[in-house]
Amino acid sequence: MNQSKKLGVQYLTASIVMMGALLLFGLLASIFYLKYGFLLGKLDFNIVKQVHINALIIACLWGFMGAIYWFLPDELGIETVGIGLARLLFWVFVAAVAVVVVVFIFVQYGSSDESGMWLVNQGRKYVEAPRWAAVGIVAVFLTLAYNIFASVAKARKVTGIMGVLMTTMIPLIAVYLIAFPAPTNMSVDLYWWWWLVHMWVEATWELMIGCILALALMKLLGTSRKVVEIWLYLEVALVLGTGILGLGHHYFWIGTPQYWLSIGGIFSALEPLPLLGMVVHAIYDAGKHQMKTHNKPAFLWLIAEAFGNFIGAGIWGFMMTLPQINLYSHGTQWTVSHGHFAFYGAYITGIIAVAYMVAQESRGIREVQGNAWKWAFAGLNIGMVGMVGALLVSGMSEAFIGRALGGSTLDGFMASQSNSWFMQGMIARTGFGVIIVASYFILAWDLLTLGRRSEKLSPALATT
Amino acid sequence: MPESTAVVFEPGAGDPRFWRDGAIATTAFMLLVLLLLTVDSLRVLTEGGGGNVPAYTVINQKITYEFDAASNMDKPVIGGEELLFGHRYSEAEAKAIMDKGKLVIQSRSCINCHAFFGNGAYYAPDLTKAWLDPTWEKMWMPMTQAKTREDAMVQFLMHPDRYPTWARQMPNLNLSEEEARAVTAYLKWISSVQTNGFPAGFGRREVAR
Amino acid sequence: MNATWLLPTAILLGIYVLCAGCYGLVYALGRLRESRKVTRTAYGFYAMQGLTTLLLVALTPLAWGWKLFLVACFLVYAAIPPITWRQLERTHALEHES
Repeated sequence: MNQSKKLGVQYLTASIVMMGALLLFGLLASIFYLKYGFLLGKLDFNIVKQVHINALIIACLWGFMGAIYWFLPDELGIETVGIGLARLLFWVFVAAVAVVVVVFIFVQYGSSDESGMWLVNQGRKYVEAPRWAAVGIVAVFLTLAYNIFASVAKARKVTGIMGVLMTTMIPLIAVYLIAFPAPTNMSVDLYWWWWLVHMWVEATWELMIGCILALALMKLLGTSRKVVEIWLYLEVALVLGTGILGLGHHYFWIGTPQYWLSIGGIFSALEPLPLLGMVVHAIYDAGKHQMKTHNKPAFLWLIAEAFGNFIGAGIWGFMMTLPQINLYSHGTQWTVSHGHFAFYGAYITGIIAVAYMVAQESRGIREVQGNAWKWAFAGLNIGMVGMVGALLVSGMSEAFIGRALGGSTLDGFMASQSNSWFMQGMIARTGFGVIIVASYFILAWDLLTLGRRSEKLSPALATT
Repeated sequence: MPESTAVVFEPGAGDPRFWRDGAIATTAFMLLVLLLLTVDSLRVLTEGGGGNVPAYTVINQKITYEFDAASNMDKPVIGGEELLFGHRYSEAEAKAIMDKGKLVIQSRSCINCHAFFGNGAYYAPDLTKAWLDPTWEKMWMPMTQAKTREDAMVQFLMHPDRYPTWARQMPNLNLSEEEARAVTAYLKWISSVQTNGFPAGFGRREVAR
Repeated sequence: MNATWLLPTAILLGIYVLCAGCYGLVYALGRLRESRKVTRTAYGFYAMQGLTTLLLVALTPLAWGWKLFLVACFLVYAAIPPITWRQLERTHALEHES
């Protein structure tokens, strides 16, 4: 195995481990809703939630980077240029994340001046990491971009997929720079902050995972490059065609002009249309290719991605995206429900699919064996559907009681939080959370021992 | 002849380059529209720019939130003088206290429990119009024995652990008096932002707890 | 929007997309198995989306602009599964020729 592929395995392993932190802190955060005064003054909800959402970002980034370093040598036919620097930065990145988490948990709050922003916590959602760590993230991205660009230059081969990937790197790094300044005016702050969050999650990340899945599909199903590239370009057109102005659905209530209500509403309400196409596409591929694949888990996780996207972003998104509904649903557990399913459907499923492919290839397994992956697949999907369903019940009751009836005041909010519909949803959410965590451990164990375990079970198979 | 498969059905559709050019054109057009809208939006968002966001010195005035039938939404209404902490803030003083307030909000990671304009976390109430919450006068001024709304808020922010809030309890985040005052001023200013009616009916509806 | 209609409207909007999803899913299954009966079931789901659209237009307090938008989208949804399927067969035909 060459160095780039080794690094890919390291990043993907780190991503799966980080998913564990993501889930454990998520489960911990859910207990705060059930038990009054839980860990009060010791480890407050905001700190736990902050670790939870930052672990999500890091798990996704590591998953993407792992997949890119893994597929790059295959695509270009050479060892990745500057891989030594990239391997060094992996350990720097891991160490930096560990330090940030320790500071979050034990130092918790910095002083209310610039030094607090540089050293402890920037306190802006998703980009809480102190500025020194944000500088480190920029350095890691620049190295990744250098690896990709220099390798393409050396190989003298710009494939369509690499073209999209290289173009994506530029806005990915450019919008991250918004993590540094923090304008006093909250409206201006949030205007630009959404450029970062939306352009990452709903534009550049979509393109990255699109490129990764394009590379994966060529390998997994043997789809031809021409077909894959046509679909990738179509995806770029649809994602950016609806996604760039889809930014508008975040600009309903932050002080922005009223025209954003129409623009944001229309563009995000159009979103289920291409997602429906994806569902049809998934069925087509499943029907035509199922017999050919030697990696069923990877294949099924890819199918789960298409459906997860349709349900999470499509159905869940459409319920709450029209401004008249969003006025009441925005900023309740309803949003939480949508967010969880959309992130899971769009990214986590894709990363797990790639992890199965990499586990298979890096260990030379001919056919993925065993039943563990089935339990993990069923458990994670059932747990996730159950959890977002429970959150939807809580969210709807919160929007109805706290917002529509209660007018969003302290009294309205507290009434919504102690309502029994809300509480039952929260209890169910934690229950399904336990299923998710248990299934995660099966998944991690399966990925870790894949190949090693089946060789022991059936030595005859391993030699074929 | 590997190139011959490029045109099989209709011209272009089988050629990846056709789709690539389409993707580039779509993206470029959408980006252009976004840039134009951004120029206009930033004009509306700039504090004191005459758009939706009042100058920071609005903290010297009375702010209410009323239903506007013409636009069919709730809007903040800026009234006559109503000083904060009995002090008339100059432009520079107002800017300084806002800068401080925002940094306090960031350093204590407020938005990972609360939300502003619905953005943040949903474990604690949305703070967009918190300044206008009738509860300060109804419940918190008697409870903290403060004479004004702003003093009650400062008392609460400095010692939240002394005052139970039913389903939730806010932890003590060790705010100094200066920091608590800055946050209070920030909350007063942010309540004056015109938010297209969010949150609807704030302070005018009641629900039995 | 009023409090009474908030949740029913949202749920109808969810069902609207859910029906579209079922239509696409079952349509694709029908084409895959080349079964008329399954494809007819798909049109049944599309009809259910139509019914949902009708309820949204007739009953809910959504603004007229949004109601028009929902009707227009409902018409577009009809075309998505067949067009996607045809395009898939076309592009994948390329694969076998090259």
